[in-house]
Amino acid sequence: MIPAIQVTKLNFNYPDGKEALRDVSFFVSSGECVGLVGPNGSGKSTLLLHLNGILPDTFDGSSKVVINGKSITRNTVNEIRRDVGLMFQDPDDQLFCPTVFEDIAFGPRQFGLSEKEIRLRVERALAQTGLSGFENRFPYHLSNGEKRRVCLAGVLACEPLVLALDEPTSYLDPRGKRNLHQILKALPVTKIIATHDLEMVVELCSRTIVLDEGRVVADGPTRELLGNEELMLRHGLEKPHILRHRHPH
Amino acid sequence: MHIPDGFLDAKTAIATTVFSITGLGTALHHARQHLQSREIPLVGLTAAFIFVAQMLNFPVAGGTSGHLIGATLAMVLLGPSIAIIVMSSVLIIQAAIFADGGLLALGANIFNMAIVAPVSGYAVYKTMRVLLRDLRGQLISASVASWCTTVIASVFCAGELAWSGTAAWNIVYPAMVGIHAVIGVGEGLITMLVLSAIAKTRPELLTEPSIQTNRNENKPTLIYGAVIVLGLLLLIAPFASQLPDGLDRVAQSLGFESKKTENQGFSTPLKDYRFFGIESNALSTIAAGMIGAGIVFAISFLLAGVLIPRIKNADNSPHST
Amino acid sequence: MRHDFFDRFSRLDSPIHHLPSSLKLLFSLGIIFTAVMVPMYYRWVFFAFFTILILVSFMSRIPWRFIGGRILFLEPFALGIAVMSLFQHNGLAIFLSILIKSTFCLFTIILFSNTTPFSDILFLFRRIGIPALLITILALTYRYLFVLIDEAVRLRRARNSRMFVIRRSRIWLSLTSLMGQLFIRSTERSERIYTAMISRGWK
Repeated sequence: MIPAIQVTKLNFNYPDGKEALRDVSFFVSSGECVGLVGPNGSGKSTLLLHLNGILPDTFDGSSKVVINGKSITRNTVNEIRRDVGLMFQDPDDQLFCPTVFEDIAFGPRQFGLSEKEIRLRVERALAQTGLSGFENRFPYHLSNGEKRRVCLAGVLACEPLVLALDEPTSYLDPRGKRNLHQILKALPVTKIIATHDLEMVVELCSRTIVLDEGRVVADGPTRELLGNEELMLRHGLEKPHILRHRHPH
Repeated sequence: MHIPDGFLDAKTAIATTVFSITGLGTALHHARQHLQSREIPLVGLTAAFIFVAQMLNFPVAGGTSGHLIGATLAMVLLGPSIAIIVMSSVLIIQAAIFADGGLLALGANIFNMAIVAPVSGYAVYKTMRVLLRDLRGQLISASVASWCTTVIASVFCAGELAWSGTAAWNIVYPAMVGIHAVIGVGEGLITMLVLSAIAKTRPELLTEPSIQTNRNENKPTLIYGAVIVLGLLLLIAPFASQLPDGLDRVAQSLGFESKKTENQGFSTPLKDYRFFGIESNALSTIAAGMIGAGIVFAISFLLAGVLIPRIKNADNSPHST
Repeated sequence: MRHDFFDRFSRLDSPIHHLPSSLKLLFSLGIIFTAVMVPMYYRWVFFAFFTILILVSFMSRIPWRFIGGRILFLEPFALGIAVMSLFQHNGLAIFLSILIKSTFCLFTIILFSNTTPFSDILFLFRRIGIPALLITILALTYRYLFVLIDEAVRLRRARNSRMFVIRRSRIWLSLTSLMGQLFIRSTERSERIYTAMISRGWK
């Protein structure tokens, strides 16, 4: 079984020389949900940007990232962007069209689908995210949670093989968070979620990777890693509440 | 300077719309060829930025406040062609959503504020930059250019109103130009202060323009120039011969001696267009304009000295605007 | 602020809102054009317009106070220019005529813009052949207009909470510094938007 994501010894420096990723290696199996945690500045967002070829911005031959058996090169990067759906931290950056429908249709439209197919995909994505009926809404008038879900719908409409999410629950109230947890849980696609929301990681992700200062410092079953208080504190994190007390699940 | 509907007659609206379409069309064509995809969001956001900038209230005297138009600011930041597109977008949205400026008058408003303004600003700016090459010089050039464009745009606005028969040239011209000569000072100051604020945090946004179309602007600029000259001929030249009467009337009403009484030993500063014994209307208007620009230059020069305390090593790279 | 910047009424549910936008635009332009061209002498034309516009306002369910407020707010700009028309032969008649006509046009545009979402207007533009680049830019401008306004408000609040001397010069410096910051943030945001666009296949 080829892994959905395979990253081998990935290094990355920012143009000003600052090191962002050092020797990062891991893989994600098809259908798996992996949490990516770490303190601020650990390189989580940078890592996600490598998964669909946004970074590095010049391809110097050997790529360290392989998606579903396809290595990211100049030639494959367009297909990769279809296969990897990246969701960004700030929904306002990603929701750039004047209506919800147009925004969700953006991806499928780039891929040259017919109007009928586009409409179908948009309806499906709206249904998956619980936003049916929102087609003509203006993004500015939506709540934070609704905007997040529209972004997710826009990515789902591309029917990706892998979902890479950067802080999907930041700035959401508890209800919004719960909503998003449920939606994500229902999606069978491979997921890698960079987040500070450790409760969500425990609930959704069977495996967790801990990143600190650009290095992978831990990679294993979620409950084991996040339950390790010492490990958590050492890397600027905290043992999530849900693992502190005996909750009947 | 947004002209509402009902002030322009059909011929003026049609003529200015034709000018606008030509100018904007040229700018779009140029952008399509030279603008990179990565720069397109910036154009949209800059338009939104200019829109917001126009909303800000700058307190002047009493309860009044002034506002920025922003054509020259956009031009300095992104070049004339993109500035045309940016300002046009702002005006279209203002008219279509906020009823600010008429729909049939949109052609005239775009012509005045989105074509005449940035392009005339570009002309002044580029000329001054030949002599003033450092950062201080950039601020001063931008400031003076802003004043000039405000006044020039108001002249065209006056021409449009006069040609429509809405108001008499000898009233609307001195009124518009007079008011905008003052407003223009504000525009110059604000433009300069904003550029200075940007330079303090991200100087590269000024020295290496975010949009590289600057270098290839010669061909489209010719077209913009042609359109503006046409506008000049149509909207202003017919009235220009009335210039002396207009100024004369204002001068009379203000209590100054009229032109007829020569050699009175009483010369009124700018109203007497017998400058240096040369009786030429065009020359005197130009002279008045240059004095105005000179005043703005002096103010800008002083302010630039305050804003940029040390003269940095002149950025003599041939690519700096 | 010169604008009602929430654009809150363009998506109401009313018979007028549901009319096709091309019809509304043509109708609005028709009224404006006719109002400008027809001399005031033909009073019945203007009475007819008045009746139609009042009827449309009623059916559009847009609050009267809002419409009245917008007209009152934008009227001074028209007045300021119209005043200049007084100083000529037959000035008063021209002044009144211009004022009435421009108010009608204003009323019409307010009704049109508040019953037609901008995205519909853009769709219309596309249909009549306006270049795609301009439409993209207009869409982006509209989308981020309110976002930038929010950002500006936030920046201003942060500054005001640290400003203890309200002097005119300080306000100018503060506002222009805010504008500078806003522009820089806009350049950064546009980079992120570009990244989001290419992530979904844009070229």
